[in-house]
Amino acid sequence: MSNPLAFVIEDDEDLAIIFAGALKAAGLDTRILRSGDMAMAQLAVSTPDVVVLDLHLPNVAGTDILRHIRNDPRLAQARVIVATADPRLADMLQSQADLVLIKPISFSQLRDLAARLTGTTPTNGSA
Amino acid sequence: MGKSLSRLLEVAVTDPEDARRRKLLNILLAGVGAIGLLALLATLVLSMFGAAGQPGEVNPLLIACISLIIGAVVIYVINRFSGWVASTLFLALIILIAVLADQPVQVAEGRSIMNLVIPIIAASVLLRPATSFVAATVCSVVIAFISLFVLHTVPNFPAMFIFFIVALIAWLSARSLENALADLRAINRELDQRVAQRTQELAEALATVHAEASKSKAILEGIADGVIVFDTDGKAIIANPAASNLLGYPTEEIIDRDIQALMETKVRSSDQEVISSLLSGQEMRQPSVKVGWGDKTLSVSLARVTDASGNPIGTVAVFRDFTREAELDRMKSTIISMTSHELRTPVTAILGYADMLKESAVGALTDEQHGVIQRIIFNCQRLSNLISNLLDQAQIEAGTLKLTYTYFTPSSLIEEMVATVGLAAQVKGLELVTAVTADTPPLVYGDAQRVSQVLVNLVSNAIKYTDQGSVLVRIFRPDEGHWGFEVADTGSGIPQEAQDYIFEPFRRADDSLTRKSSGAGLGLSIVKQLVNLMKGEIRLTSTVGSGSTFTVILPLSI
Repeated sequence: MSNPLAFVIEDDEDLAIIFAGALKAAGLDTRILRSGDMAMAQLAVSTPDVVVLDLHLPNVAGTDILRHIRNDPRLAQARVIVATADPRLADMLQSQADLVLIKPISFSQLRDLAARLTGTTPTNGSA
Repeated sequence: MGKSLSRLLEVAVTDPEDARRRKLLNILLAGVGAIGLLALLATLVLSMFGAAGQPGEVNPLLIACISLIIGAVVIYVINRFSGWVASTLFLALIILIAVLADQPVQVAEGRSIMNLVIPIIAASVLLRPATSFVAATVCSVVIAFISLFVLHTVPNFPAMFIFFIVALIAWLSARSLENALADLRAINRELDQRVAQRTQELAEALATVHAEASKSKAILEGIADGVIVFDTDGKAIIANPAASNLLGYPTEEIIDRDIQALMETKVRSSDQEVISSLLSGQEMRQPSVKVGWGDKTLSVSLARVTDASGNPIGTVAVFRDFTREAELDRMKSTIISMTSHELRTPVTAILGYADMLKESAVGALTDEQHGVIQRIIFNCQRLSNLISNLLDQAQIEAGTLKLTYTYFTPSSLIEEMVATVGLAAQVKGLELVTAVTADTPPLVYGDAQRVSQVLVNLVSNAIKYTDQGSVLVRIFRPDEGHWGFEVADTGSGIPQEAQDYIFEPFRRADDSLTRKSSGAGLGLSIVKQLVNLMKGEIRLTSTVGSGSTFTVILPLSI
């Protein structure tokens, strides 16, 4: 049985690596998508279980991607974690996203939340 | 006519008394001359009807008349050069006429004797008053001469006595007249002097006023600040060129208009309200406000003007060009906020990677490596907090920090605070005591994140400056319209002098080179500014050695 699939839609390379690391530690397979149009293209062919979504993206806005996921029945099972630095946007999107996290988001925070959302067991390198 | 007549009669001399006498002489001469002329005419008319004398014989009356006229003219001419000579000659002429006009017996003892009174009186007014006695003596000598050598009788002593009595009276009256005239002239002179002095003073005062006015005007026109003076009806009565320049109206378009009319198309309505409320304020001197005026930013300050007895006579508005300063302020805020954003991204990345290492996501760590990673994370968090504070400060200064109001529970505030700083208290061995009083509303309305920031900041400060004892956090309700919280510690306390500036940006209570703890000194400044933004207030009571209590009071509704 394959692990659940997670998309990290985030244009900042470092944050993308850290988020992907956290999701991987939570036991998910991860794919990093660093622009809005790349994300839209991948969403058309895959059905991720978890999407970590940055709102400020090149080409297609994060809010448009969120709306797209919510309107596509094929993606109904996707859990969306919105990551934003703007508390006002966070409040606005509370109802549409499964989780809204305000940046800065720590590695362990995302790892534990993702594990809880998908029912996986977080792995600890030292364990 | 009158003027040329008086020019003929007057003699131009400086002594007024002399001038008066010589003019009087001229008047008498004119009279004598006129009598002479009339008599000449009458004699000529009578001789035509052959009433007098023999043919071929010259009428003596005619000679007398002509002599009289010639005498008068000669004396008049002499009078131009010497008053006393002319007067003496005139008097001699009168005495001569009086003596020759009748028979000697009539002159010395009869009907014509009193004609000699005339030169005595005339002497007192034509020459000096005392000369009446000289005239009386001359007249007495004349009648004595006639009595002794013409009539061969005893001189007429009673007549002489009367001459001297008349001379005495003439002397007295002429003297008092002269004195009266002298007094009058003195009064006149004094009056003239006073008028001249007043005129001089007035001229000087006017010159001073003019100089002051032009000095004030020059200052007003020279200064870079715009000045407009409004009268009590709010109409502009004075405006300097700088005001015209700053406000964008010609001076004549400012005069007679009120501030509302001047602001109409140039100032945002919210700024208009600010200025109007300043104008209607009662204080003598209002703090200045900054408003956008057209494409400029102006600082406007108003001061009421009162007269010496305190009655309002108007308002002075001073406008200063603040465009450049405002621009710099905006640039500073933009730079700080950009820099903060740019700094935050790598710091977040470093924190993330450090966290990955700490959580052994990329392999197991030794205890020593784990300790190093802890130090990295701790310092990154400090840097991150500093950046957040700078960003907050910049946003507050730029007025771009917006509050997001929601309902939240006071207990969630406590939970969040304990989650954030509880560990720090534990590490220092401090007791963190929390309480929510029973009358606190279950839900309060506010910016949950910012209220939490304030509380966390106060509590982490309390922990930072307390070495032993406890930190007490209590949420309560001071009155119907408010709720609040207090943070009390058993720390070192804040000296009185530091309490005055502790809320200023970049200031700390231990503002010295040897301070014991780290931080930019922005925390309390941001706390205070956030509380102000929330329309609340913050109070501090502190005693050195026994601890400090910060109390924040916030409105329940906005």
